[in-house]
Amino acid sequence: MNAALLSLSLPLLAALLLVLLRPARSGLCVILMSAASLTAAAFALQQAISLAPQLLQIGGWETPLAIRFQLTPLTALLMVFTAGLHLLVALYAARSPHATGNEDYWPLSCLLHASLVALWLSADLFNLYVTLELLSLCAVALVALAGRKAYRPAFNYLMLSLAGSLAYLFGVALFYGRYGVLDVLVLAELTEADNTTRLALLLMSVGLMLKAALWPLHLWLPPAHSGAPTAVSALLSALVVKGPIYILWLIWSQIAPPELGRQAGFLFAGAGILALISGGWSALRAPRLKMLVAYSTVAQLGYALLALGLLLHWQEPRMEAALWLFILAHGLAKVSMFLAAGELQRVLGTRRVRALKGASQNMPVAMATFAVAGGSLIGLPPSGGFLAKWLLLQPLFEQPQHWPWAFGVLLGTLMSAAYVFRVVALGFDRARPNPPSVKPDPVAQWLAMLPALLVLSLALISEPLLLWLGGVAR
Amino acid sequence: MNWTHWLPLAIVLSSLVPGLLIFTLHEDQHRLRVTLNLCGVVIKLLLVVAMIYGVSKGLEFRFSLPFLPGAPLVLQGDALSLLFVALSSVLWLATTIYAIGYLENSPLQSRFFGYFSLCVSATVGLALAGNLVSFLLFYEMLTLATFPLVVHRGTPEALRAGRVYLAYTVGGGALVLMGVALLHGLAGGQDFQPGGYLLPAVGEHDLALRVAFVLLVAGLGVKAALLPLHGWLPKAMVAPAPVSALLHAVAVVKAGAFGIIRVVYDVYGAEAMGQLDMAGPLLWLAAATILYGSMRALQQQELKKRLAYSTISQVSYVTLGVALLGPIAAVGGLVHLVHQGLMKVTLFYCAGNFAETLGIHRVREMDGVGRRMPLTMTAFSIGALGMIGIPPIAGFVSKWALGMGALEVGQDWVLLVLMGSALLNAGYFLPLLWRGWFAEPADWHEDNWREERWETHWMLLLPAVFTAFLSVLVGVLAGTALSPLGWAQLIVNRKFEI
Amino acid sequence: MSSSLFWMIIGATLWLLGLHGLLTLRQALRRIIAFNLMGSGVFLVMIALAARSQPSDPLLIALVVTGLVVAVSATALALRLAGVAQGPEHPTGQQEPRQ
Repeated sequence: MNAALLSLSLPLLAALLLVLLRPARSGLCVILMSAASLTAAAFALQQAISLAPQLLQIGGWETPLAIRFQLTPLTALLMVFTAGLHLLVALYAARSPHATGNEDYWPLSCLLHASLVALWLSADLFNLYVTLELLSLCAVALVALAGRKAYRPAFNYLMLSLAGSLAYLFGVALFYGRYGVLDVLVLAELTEADNTTRLALLLMSVGLMLKAALWPLHLWLPPAHSGAPTAVSALLSALVVKGPIYILWLIWSQIAPPELGRQAGFLFAGAGILALISGGWSALRAPRLKMLVAYSTVAQLGYALLALGLLLHWQEPRMEAALWLFILAHGLAKVSMFLAAGELQRVLGTRRVRALKGASQNMPVAMATFAVAGGSLIGLPPSGGFLAKWLLLQPLFEQPQHWPWAFGVLLGTLMSAAYVFRVVALGFDRARPNPPSVKPDPVAQWLAMLPALLVLSLALISEPLLLWLGGVAR
Repeated sequence: MNWTHWLPLAIVLSSLVPGLLIFTLHEDQHRLRVTLNLCGVVIKLLLVVAMIYGVSKGLEFRFSLPFLPGAPLVLQGDALSLLFVALSSVLWLATTIYAIGYLENSPLQSRFFGYFSLCVSATVGLALAGNLVSFLLFYEMLTLATFPLVVHRGTPEALRAGRVYLAYTVGGGALVLMGVALLHGLAGGQDFQPGGYLLPAVGEHDLALRVAFVLLVAGLGVKAALLPLHGWLPKAMVAPAPVSALLHAVAVVKAGAFGIIRVVYDVYGAEAMGQLDMAGPLLWLAAATILYGSMRALQQQELKKRLAYSTISQVSYVTLGVALLGPIAAVGGLVHLVHQGLMKVTLFYCAGNFAETLGIHRVREMDGVGRRMPLTMTAFSIGALGMIGIPPIAGFVSKWALGMGALEVGQDWVLLVLMGSALLNAGYFLPLLWRGWFAEPADWHEDNWREERWETHWMLLLPAVFTAFLSVLVGVLAGTALSPLGWAQLIVNRKFEI
Repeated sequence: MSSSLFWMIIGATLWLLGLHGLLTLRQALRRIIAFNLMGSGVFLVMIALAARSQPSDPLLIALVVTGLVVAVSATALALRLAGVAQGPEHPTGQQEPRQ
């Protein structure tokens, strides 16, 4: 547990110190801190696997009064994931100051990291609310770093995010009113399928779906993620929306009674397929590059929603591994994609997709990054996205009545391929190439490529990954 | 560690590593690029020879890496994979020399040769793949590696062709994924086995097996240009000649056909195919493609397009042989894989030579070219006559075997298809030969080699002559065990457990 | 109807009113007020639940206090953001945030 707490306190301390002291080389400090946090999280993962899930009652109080932290292999893996992505983005942002918009990026990103780690570790509903709020407020502030143009999307994001939080809080209140506890493990044994529980779950789900931009409550995401600075967009798409999804999974798979889960699961899965198609269609028609990538996030979260829905609808435990693999692979791929998009935009001096003509000649590494990251989103082997899709398809194919879902997955794959190749094909257009406005930076492009390479080879470490995911807290 | 473990991986890496290195080279590092290319080719050939030697001594080559749960990444060297690997390696050598000559003074050579090498790595990877999942991995890699080659010229026309190509091949890849995932649920991630491994599942899972077969054949059929999934191929002719040669003789089209062979024989097996009644529709499709391709070829006035439709027709001979489910037909189909490769690549080299040297793109511009470029025209003639099926060139051997195979399983109507196709082939190849040799020379606007000793660049001439020679050689040696025919016989014996 | 239920209904109504306002109003300040109304609604519900037992449930009271702190911070951020989003061109004008 200590390693986990270290992984939490390092970014928190760093955030506070950066705000107070304002050192000259903030980027370097953040890189060092997140590397240390990553190491601590890796230790925590190792501990979590070798020992049983660990609990920490803060302040020594007993449940249900205590605030409880819980470390399981899944949460440890998510902590590693968070620290890792923070580090990768920090490396890029340190190299390319344009990606951050403002020096305030550094303390804010550390605070984001800290709140997300606290979210993973939390094990009661109210603590989840608090960490969720922290996360959202950080995210809004980060979006606003881009300057005047981003204030309106940021404000809109804030408003909708707060609406979501209050819906969630209302649900928490109802739960407490009905069962008298807020602890996840204790609630899991108490819940029954009555109207109060239904209402509470509905309110919480709507709130969380709004915060995670799950179809159809996703409309705030594309303007916010495309208006934000590059590094912020990367963190938002890869990390921030994953927090609410974790809570959604937690309440439905652990707290909700299976009968309710079965009904809700069908709706989730259907929404997932629609997200894939609708998000993919919008990405295909988006005129600006970052908007395309943002809609791609909406579409890819459809896979997560589908996996969650089928997990609940069929009570199929294999879908859990698929869900988390989608989350991990998507995080890596999206970071890479946004960083590459940022590089392309900066060097070619434009935000439009059409202006990418000839980019594979002028900026081969950035285009290759986009293509490799896109390959994981499409689900090409041997990437992490392929592994996740494979795990999703296995239970789907086992019985003929489940095959229509597979057709939905096929459509989603084709749509992803369409919008990824829309960009990649343009890169090969030599007829009227768009020449670079400034000198491209190869180091920055390679830093953007790093997460893409990681996700490309993710399937090759599938054995240990599935081992860790198999130990998901139950 | 054991060399039998590493050799398959080394064969794939021998072109992958130079390819990745070539990407980093500067445009004017000409010497280094050529060196890397040729080193890769030679090393690969040596490794392939080593593997053939090993297999002939009874050694088993298998490389395995954990990949998906229940389905490791497997590279193995059995007789069928070696047939395809050997073909790919030899033709890669020829095409590399050809490409170096063809693209001299062209821009973006590093990018071209990088993707070129990746393409060949993907091809040998899928040849050596030991199970469906490994095959899928390299199949998708092939799609991605060939796209930049198709759009290499960067013109709007090239991009349009590239988009069509992507639409077809990515869709095909997705269908193959579905089929593989479905079969994995049924029977696990087993290695390819002669005689197939799905027979135990027949009876209780018929629907799933049939659906999986349709998905797989549809996905593989895209690359194999099976009707009606052939639309990308004529459009892809916009690529430079070495790309057309590689795509249509070695890599993409053959990969699809090879995949169909693997699925029918090493996954389903002849027995299961018979019980599921799925070979019949495949046979009909193959026959229809053969006739359709040839008929469309007759109408084409552009040389490369005519050759493209000829490819569509000819590759379906392989599918035809496979779908007949008899041992002799299987031999015919398999050996046609090799023979058609050799002959088609010759034809494409020659077409490229005509275009590069004299600006010939259309059929009527070929008049009298035999007088100006006799060696190339001879090679072209050999290829064309082989396509029609004139002995002793390679094409005759495979068509003979296919005909005998059709008779063996009692599908006599296939003979009519074969004969009809041969007539159509004659219909669109013989006029070309007549024009080339006997017509009055056309008015060629450009002639880049008029004053030279050789009719064209030696790097363009040599591969064409070499592969034409090979086409005759394999036909003449067909009776012996050394030839591809003998090899195919060996493979089929194992698959039918004769 | 018990007083607890009565206050809970009031709280839920406030919540709904606030939600409606947040989603449909156009001016930033009004949306912020709507959000605060939503917050008050939820807190009222929680207090009503706390009042069901004698003495009042301390856990819920603690949650309300925490919630108030969060709401205040969020309101502060929202006000600041709304203020700069208005910009110097509209010193007294009503800003219309994108829906």
